Amino acid sequence: MTVTADANTTTATPEDAAPPRRAPWWLRLLRDRAAAAALILLGLIVLAAILAPLISPADPFANSRNVMIPPIWSERGMAEHLLGTDGQGRDILSRLLYGTRVTLLIGLIGMGLGGVIGSLMGLVSAFYPRLDPWIMRLVDMMLSFPAILLGLALVAVMGQGVVPVTIALGVASIPDCARIARGIAVGIMKQEFIEAGRAVGLSDLTLFVRYLLRNAISSIMIFMSLRFGQLILLGAALSFLGLGARPPQAELGMMAAQGRDFLLFAPHIAVIPSVLIFLIVLCANVAGDALRDVLDPRLRG
Amino acid sequence: MSFSPIRLSLAAALALGAPAIAAAQTSVTIVREVDSNNYDPQKSTARSASEVLFMMGDTLVGLDPDMQTVVPMLAESWEMSEDGLTYTFHLKDGVKFCDGKAMTADDVVYTFDRWLDPETKSPVAWRAGEVESVTAPDPLTVVYKLKAPHSELLYQLTQSFATIIDKANVEALGPDFGVTGFNGTGPFCWQEWTPRNTMTLTKHEGYNWGPPIYDTPDAQVDEITWQIVPEENTRTVAVLTGQSQITQYVPYIALSQLRAAPNVNIEQSDAAFWTYFLGFKVDKPTVSDPVVREAINLAVNQQAMTEDLYFGEVQPAYSYVSEGALDWNHALDDELPKYDPEKAVEILEADGWTLNSDGVREKDGVKLQPLAYVFAGSTWSKIAEAVQADLLKVGIDMQIQAFDATIAWGKMSTQEFDMFGMSFPYVSSGDALNLYFRSANIPSPNRMNWNDAKTDELLRTGLTATNDADRAAAYGEVLKQVHEAYVWLPLYHEPMTIASSTELKPVVPHNLYGCGLYKGISIAYAD
Repeated sequence: MTVTADANTTTATPEDAAPPRRAPWWLRLLRDRAAAAALILLGLIVLAAILAPLISPADPFANSRNVMIPPIWSERGMAEHLLGTDGQGRDILSRLLYGTRVTLLIGLIGMGLGGVIGSLMGLVSAFYPRLDPWIMRLVDMMLSFPAILLGLALVAVMGQGVVPVTIALGVASIPDCARIARGIAVGIMKQEFIEAGRAVGLSDLTLFVRYLLRNAISSIMIFMSLRFGQLILLGAALSFLGLGARPPQAELGMMAAQGRDFLLFAPHIAVIPSVLIFLIVLCANVAGDALRDVLDPRLRG
Repeated sequence: MSFSPIRLSLAAALALGAPAIAAAQTSVTIVREVDSNNYDPQKSTARSASEVLFMMGDTLVGLDPDMQTVVPMLAESWEMSEDGLTYTFHLKDGVKFCDGKAMTADDVVYTFDRWLDPETKSPVAWRAGEVESVTAPDPLTVVYKLKAPHSELLYQLTQSFATIIDKANVEALGPDFGVTGFNGTGPFCWQEWTPRNTMTLTKHEGYNWGPPIYDTPDAQVDEITWQIVPEENTRTVAVLTGQSQITQYVPYIALSQLRAAPNVNIEQSDAAFWTYFLGFKVDKPTVSDPVVREAINLAVNQQAMTEDLYFGEVQPAYSYVSEGALDWNHALDDELPKYDPEKAVEILEADGWTLNSDGVREKDGVKLQPLAYVFAGSTWSKIAEAVQADLLKVGIDMQIQAFDATIAWGKMSTQEFDMFGMSFPYVSSGDALNLYFRSANIPSPNRMNWNDAKTDELLRTGLTATNDADRAAAYGEVLKQVHEAYVWLPLYHEPMTIASSTELKPVVPHNLYGCGLYKGISIAYAD
């Protein structure tokens, strides 16, 4: 009797008994193996970039007479230059670490800039329908202006540097952000709680910040995380064209451009930074996708 | 990382379709990096225009590859008057334009009149000297009268800017002269130009007045195609695979590979008359201090730069013009500053430039951070970054600002910068000095703001000298003056390097205005 009773209690586990409850979002995210791998890799890259001054094996700006040394795994490799040296004899690994910093920073700030301005434009546009056509036509105009051209124009005015490229990236992401934000906000504005808020006499500012912005922000963030990969790529492309970082600063796109001259003879100089750009963009896209799957309420089955 | 350049080149060649291989034996394709905006000899200063104009047209006199000897071309002989003011040129008989019309002294007169006419707005009119008149007493004689002697005149008349043109052709084409056609007397004739793609020239039948520097007086191939290929690795592959038979535009990194290739010849000139330098604006803070300029000259390792960035294919420069140039002052040979970073630090310290906590020198609160303007693109970014890294080692934090060529020229005629990167071709010391150091040429090309009455006077003495010794003495003195003031940081002298297919006979590289193939007469298939 007791044995059976025991057996009964063991089968009636709490999981079975309780109604099915969803795991927290971050746990669901990590269960997706691809997303987990992408997040971990991206985390490592970001960490390495942050710690660049501490972990880089050599001065990334110091040239040396050891030019075009191939990576360690090839015959002529040197132990002190794990990934070899570039055409000026600078350590590629160190430049890669410092370059990732600049690349990520350009992408992040550009995304932040575009995200804030774009979302505000979209939200305001939905909040004040009278402004809607004006703002959205402005956005349409911006949408028709290629980011590379904008970058070129800004560099012509401000000179080569990280700042004009960041601004170009920011401006380039404004229209998409504005449209997404407006779409989300238009949906929210139809909700009853907005009516209710209006009815109890809340000020526009309170309505906008506490009712609209708060409800829209998570969807906007998800969109921006998806956009991050594209911005990194665009930033690297602008740097590849020679518009971005000013020497001796390193930047991944610029490193790839400098290696182009050596492509036939020392391909690692161009290939290594290009592979890193590829990895960052891939990880950002996979992670962004997974984040949307997990967080976006509209995608819940 | 095992890697076969040859395999890659073959792949690239297949991808490009290797169009030129099947062409007839007497056509030659020359790949080059950039096109010119026009082929009007008096209106374009681009090397890409000159190199084609030398083939399509002739000048009164030519230049030997030694860069010193003036040789007959359209003029059979010439005399200079005692006072150096009158040059009389005796033209060859039987010279014809490509359209078959005979060339006479009137065409020469027209050419110079147009060159000097303010309406033409020729940027190179100064090269002709202060002309009193150019006249034609008979169809085979030209008298060139100057207001002041011009010791450089014959050298200047060898340049493509002095190419003899056809009045009827200029008037018929109007603004399209040198764009839709060009009627010259050169060994080759204009066939067709598709801008930024190809320029096709055909052999000038009946041409036999080539300069005596060549084995034959006429062209040896029927057709020459100048093909624009902007990407340097692609040009290398084009030479390796036989799509291009000859070019001077192969990257230095590829030369050792090309030398090893069984089907490619590399010819290099001893003379190197194209010099790269960084100039200082001598009246701007920090670089106005001669000690700073001297320290920069001592801190940069030109030898390492030429070996590591250019694989030993260029010559490190310590002088502002090649030591092989006419009128170079050999007394300066042992006094030129060489790489000595310890001494650079020493003189900076003695001058009060002390290191701050960031590793940058400063004096009276002013940081030693000169701003350098350079051209965007791989050549100058390589040079500027190497200089920047060398300077940082002695505490000088040079800032680099690169501009696309379309705006760089404008930016470099402003007063915004402390240093600028430039390279230039020259035929002689006087040519270089008169271009860069005359106070009248401020702000451009005298971007240094070098304003010195003694220099101006000596340059004038050199320019108007009527004998070689006086001219050499005057220019030698200017060279001494500007070298002692460290007005530039010379970087390297570039010799002419030509890669050609072994199907062709080897050519002697020329250095005139950086146009290695000069008249193109020596381009010939081996038997």
